[in-house]
Amino acid sequence: MKRWQMIKLGLILAAYCIVGCVGLAFVYSSTSKTIAQGQEADLQAGLREVFPSATGFTPTDKVKSPNPKIVFDGAYTANGPSGTLGVAVQVHGPSYGGDTTLIVGVSTNGTITGVKVLENIDTPGLGANAANAKYYVDKATKTTFPGQFTGKKVTDAFVVKQDVIAITSATITSRSITNLVQAVAKAASDTLGIGASSQSPDAVLPSADTVRPSSKVAASSVPGISVLETSVGTKSGTIVDTVSGAAFSSKGASALVKATADALVKALAGGGL
Amino acid sequence: MKRLLGIFLNGLIVENPLFVIMIGLCSSMAVTTTVANGIGMGIALTFVLVMSELIISLFRHLIPESIRMPVFLVVIAGFTTIMDLEMQAYFPVLSKSMGVYIPLVVVNCIIMGRVEAYSSKQPVLDSIFDGLGMGIGYTWVLIALAVVRELLGNGTLLGFQIMPASFSPMIFFILPPGGFLVFALWMAASNDLRRKLLAGRKPEPTQDSCCTLPENGSAEKA
Repeated sequence: MKRWQMIKLGLILAAYCIVGCVGLAFVYSSTSKTIAQGQEADLQAGLREVFPSATGFTPTDKVKSPNPKIVFDGAYTANGPSGTLGVAVQVHGPSYGGDTTLIVGVSTNGTITGVKVLENIDTPGLGANAANAKYYVDKATKTTFPGQFTGKKVTDAFVVKQDVIAITSATITSRSITNLVQAVAKAASDTLGIGASSQSPDAVLPSADTVRPSSKVAASSVPGISVLETSVGTKSGTIVDTVSGAAFSSKGASALVKATADALVKALAGGGL
Repeated sequence: MKRLLGIFLNGLIVENPLFVIMIGLCSSMAVTTTVANGIGMGIALTFVLVMSELIISLFRHLIPESIRMPVFLVVIAGFTTIMDLEMQAYFPVLSKSMGVYIPLVVVNCIIMGRVEAYSSKQPVLDSIFDGLGMGIGYTWVLIALAVVRELLGNGTLLGFQIMPASFSPMIFFILPPGGFLVFALWMAASNDLRRKLLAGRKPEPTQDSCCTLPENGSAEKA
């Protein structure tokens, strides 16, 4: 008796689910086309923005992401009137509030032709300023955050607060976008056969630039003690990542790590390792 | 008709889901950083709430007591997905800026709470008006929160610059602590109004004792 009751309940639940699924199938088939069209239009507009003079775009699969966390959704060769202009890549990767999606264009002469933010769900008023056309990181020249990458050489260092101006109070967003751009620059320059930068392609996570100050210290004082900086750098990266919108504490953490690295290098040098 | 109007108005202040019943708070904090998101979320939730209450009230005699929760969830999830797909198709910008909070409407306590406490026991028309009242009660609170947060935290309203250029945005209001502060201030104002509305009115026997509070609210007793 009890078994029959269970089967009956299961069948009732199944009936509700089937009705729900059929309803959803109808809605899906009526909206999926519009959704796909909208995404395609966004993509085309983005590609056009980074290569305004291109006559067409051909999908290519030759551009490969150097990092598993940074995903290339699609790569396109921009065709000009007289040959290839460069490649444009739609890329997404982790940022503060979730994945950020960009379109990055790299020209055949080794410069970035433009960066367009397609999707960014970081904090409004802070990280979301990356997609704000009226937010200028350099007010004098009216340069937006993604706008500052235009014309930048793919061989540049791509370090926030050194050769990239950060968005105020949004260090993590600034870093993650910079890293996405750099990943594309690296991959595209490999594909296009431009003299690639010597930087390691795996240094593309938000902690990337915290590793560098310490490595500089090590390189300048004692060569060969480079074992230290990876662990120290990673640790600082963790601190920096968990503090939200806190450029101040990130700076503090980086300074601490640098001081520690300094001291360690001195101690090791003195100890005659 | 007057009775239905009463059910509708009930959700706005006297039994406001956010300020009085105090459910569904997480999403209200998270999406109210901009007014556009607040309006979008409010409309989305109102749609799912009204449709779920309608369907569940319609089938309330055909839902066995022991499996009512999974059935409610199927219905709510179905309408949430419909709304999600429609928004992606016709309001892509809004849909992107709200991100994960749209699918999370499925587990919003307001919907589950109203379906369980109200529409699974009440007739269809009453349920629709309850859904509308609760939904609009939720929406006005979201807009009220978002107006203050966007104006003070970003200097804009619906994306238009309102504050003069010399105004330096108070980022505090965009961040969660500012959200809690604004929420508390609005709640104080709303519950003061509620007390005045209820003053002199006899405590009525309510239909859903689980989700209604005694006359003077619980805020000062808790």
